Amino acid sequence: MGDFLSYLGRNYADIFSYTIEHIQLLGVSLTLAILIGVPLGIYLTTNEQLAATVLQAASIILTIPSIALFGVMIPILSLVGQGIGFLPAVIALILYSQLPIIRNTYTAINNVDPNIRDAANGLGMTTMQRLLKVEIPNGMPLIMAGIRTATVLSIGIGAIAAFIGSGGLGVLIDMGISRGNQNMIIAGALAISILAIAADFGLKKIQMKFSPKEIQ
Amino acid sequence: MIEFTNVSKTYPGGVKAIDDISLSIGHGEFVVLLGPSGCGKTTLLRMVNQLEELTEGEIAVEGSSIHDLNKIDMRRNIGYVIQSNGLFPNMTIEDNVMVVPAMLGWSKEKKKERFEYLMNLIGMPPETYRKNFPHELSGGQQQRIGVARALAADPPVMLMDEPFGALDPIIRARIQEEFLDIQRTLKKTILFVSHDIDEAIKLADRIVLLKDGKLQQFDRPEELLNRPANEFVSEFVGEDSVLKSLSLYQVQDMKAKLTLPEASDGLDGTVFKHGDSLRYVLSHLLHPTPKPVYFERQEGGLAGPISVAHIEAFVREMTA
Amino acid sequence: MNSKAVIAWIVKIAFWVVIIAFFWWTISNNMYAQILENPEQFAGLLGRHLQIVLISSSLALLTAVPAGILLTRPKFKKYEWIFVNTANLGQTIPSIAILALAMGFLGIGIQAAILALYVYSLLPILQNTIAGLKSVDPAAKDAAAGMGMTPTQILFKIELPMAASSMIAGIRTAIVLNIGTTALAYLIGGGGLGVWIFTGIQLFDNTYLISGAVPVTILAITVDQLFRVMQLFLVPKGIRKAQKAAAAT
Repeated sequence: MGDFLSYLGRNYADIFSYTIEHIQLLGVSLTLAILIGVPLGIYLTTNEQLAATVLQAASIILTIPSIALFGVMIPILSLVGQGIGFLPAVIALILYSQLPIIRNTYTAINNVDPNIRDAANGLGMTTMQRLLKVEIPNGMPLIMAGIRTATVLSIGIGAIAAFIGSGGLGVLIDMGISRGNQNMIIAGALAISILAIAADFGLKKIQMKFSPKEIQ
Repeated sequence: MIEFTNVSKTYPGGVKAIDDISLSIGHGEFVVLLGPSGCGKTTLLRMVNQLEELTEGEIAVEGSSIHDLNKIDMRRNIGYVIQSNGLFPNMTIEDNVMVVPAMLGWSKEKKKERFEYLMNLIGMPPETYRKNFPHELSGGQQQRIGVARALAADPPVMLMDEPFGALDPIIRARIQEEFLDIQRTLKKTILFVSHDIDEAIKLADRIVLLKDGKLQQFDRPEELLNRPANEFVSEFVGEDSVLKSLSLYQVQDMKAKLTLPEASDGLDGTVFKHGDSLRYVLSHLLHPTPKPVYFERQEGGLAGPISVAHIEAFVREMTA
Repeated sequence: MNSKAVIAWIVKIAFWVVIIAFFWWTISNNMYAQILENPEQFAGLLGRHLQIVLISSSLALLTAVPAGILLTRPKFKKYEWIFVNTANLGQTIPSIAILALAMGFLGIGIQAAILALYVYSLLPILQNTIAGLKSVDPAAKDAAAGMGMTPTQILFKIELPMAASSMIAGIRTAIVLNIGTTALAYLIGGGGLGVWIFTGIQLFDNTYLISGAVPVTILAITVDQLFRVMQLFLVPKGIRKAQKAAAAT
C-alpha cells in the first residue's frame, strides 16, 4: 500500500497526462458519434424498414469484441497508412457508440406521447418545429441516457485502444503488464474505473436536468 | 360455514387493521365486505385463506379452525379471485383454469371435462379459448376466466377481492348478473370485497360494513338501507337510500304489507307482475304523463290504481 | 415500392457488400494463412478460448442465478440494494481493469483470467435475474399463493417463466462480453485467440491479426444469434406473444 502511494507520488504527472489523453480520445470520438448517431436516429423514425436494418447492423457491431475489431481494422487502415494510433481508436469508438445513441434517439422520438404530437400538429407546427420544440425536448432524457451508456462503454474500450497506440490510461496497464509493474497496473485500472464511474455519475446528473420536473 | 370470533389484527407499531370482529356466515350465503378504502375489508378477506396473519381471535371454516389446517391444502380448497385477475401470462387459458386441479392430481379426462363445464358455465366456448393466452382476451373475459379458475376444484367457499372493480360499468353490470346466475345454481359460500354500495346491494345476501377495522353493521341490504345502525352507515349508504332500497323490494312485498284497492277489469294502464321491482313502479308513477298503474293479483284480477302515496306508505312501513 | 423502401434496401445491400468485400479481400491476400498453415495451433488456441469462456461463464451462471433468486426472497430482500448497487458500479469498471486486477491476486495464467471473467460475467446475470424476478406481476404471485401453490411452485411455475426473458438477456450479454474479453486474456497469460491478435499487433502482421480477430468475431456473433434463437424456445409462448403485443402498441 505504502509502495503504491509512493508510486503515485512519483508518477502523478504522468497519470494526469494519460488521463487527459484518454479524455481527448473520448471527446473527439463521442462528439463525432453524437453528430452521426442523433440525426441518424431521428431520421430512422421516418423509415421503419431502414431502422430495422441499421439497428440490427449496429447491434451486431456491438457484439464484435473490441480487440478483434482493432485486429480487423489494422490491415484495412494500413492501406492508407493509419493502421495504428489515434484514428483506428476514434473509428472503433464511434462504431461502438452508434447502437446506444441511435437506438435511444430512435426510441425517444418514437415514444413521444402521440397526444402531445397530435396537439403540436393541431397548433399548426411544421415537422421541423415539432421536432425541435416538442419531440427532442421530450425525448432528451432517453437520448442523454444513450450518450451516457456510450460514454461509459467508450472509456473501457479506450483503455484497450492503448494496445494499438492510441495513448491514454490503457498505456499504464499495457506497460505495467509488460514490465511486471503491479503498481502501474493498479494505478491504470483505478484511474480508468474512477473516470468511468465519474462520467456515469456526472452524465446521470445532466440527464436528470434534462428531464422535465414531473417525470423525475 | 365461516366463523369469525373476536378477530383482531394489530400491525407492529400498534395500528389496528382489524378490531375485534365476530361474524357468522352461513352455508351458501353471499356476504359482501363493504367499506371505504383502508377500512380493513381486504385484510379481513385475506385472513380467511391465511394470506394475512391474525393477531387475536379465531377463524373457523366448515367447523375447523384455520390454525389446525395446512395452509397450502386449505387454500386449494378455497376459490380465490382478485381484482387484477392475476392470470398467469405464461400459461394457456386451459392451464390457468386447471391450476388447482393439476396440483390436486386430477386425471386428464376429469380435467378436460371440468374445463369444458366451467367454460360453458361462464359462457365462453371451451374450444375457442382453450389454447389462447390471457393477454389475448378482453378485460371482461379475463375476469370471467379468473372466476372459472377459482371454481375449478369446486370449492365450497369463494373469496373474491373486488373481482369486477377494474371493469367498465356496462361490462361490470353484465358480469355481476352472470355471476349471480352462476351462484344461484352453485350455492357457494362467498365472501366478496367491494367499495361500491350499489354492487353490494345487487349481489349480497348480507352486507358487512366496516370502518377503520371496526364492524359497523352486519345485515341484509334492505335493513342496512332502511335501518342504518349509526351515523356512518346512513352516510355511507347515501342520501338516496330509500330509492336504492326500493330496488330490493318487489310488487309482492307491497301487496303483503298494504291493503290495496280492488280495480275493475279492462282499464287502460300499465300492469306490474309479482316479481317486478318497486323502483320501476315508482319510476312509472313519476313519469310526466303517467298512465294508471295496476298490480296483478294472485287470485286473478288487478289491484289499483296505485299512487305515489302507496309507495310512501310502504316505505314508512318498512323503515318503522 | 416507395423511395423509403428503396433506401432501406440499398443500405441493406451495402452492408452485405462491405462484408463480402472484406472476406474477398482478406482471402485473396491470404490473410488466413495462420489458420491454414497451423491448424493444430489454431485448434489449441480456440480450445483454450472456449475453455476459459465455458468455465468462467458456467461458474457465473451457477452463482448469479441462485443468488438473484435468494435476494428476491422476503428473507433476504433487505440485502438486495447492496448487491444491485455493487453490480451497477461494477459494470462501469472496464474489463481490462478487472483482468489486470485479477492478475494482482493470482499472478499470470489461466486462473487469473477465469477469475476475472467470472467476476465480469457475474454482474449482468445477477442484475437481470433480480430485475426479471422483481418485474413479475405481484397480482399473479398473490393469486398463486391464494390458490395454494407452495413457495417452490410459485418460483418454478410463475416467477421463473415470467422472468425468463430478462434472465436470458442477461446471460446473453454476459457470455458475448465474456467471449470478447477472453481475447484480452493473453495479456495476463491466459492464452486463447487473443494470442494471435496481439502477436499481429506487435509484429504488424496481417495474417496473425485476421486469423485471430475474425474467428473471435464470428464466435461472438454466432453465440449472440444462438441465444436469440434460444430465447424463442425458453421464454414461454404466452409471455413472448404478450411482449410482442405490448411492443406493437
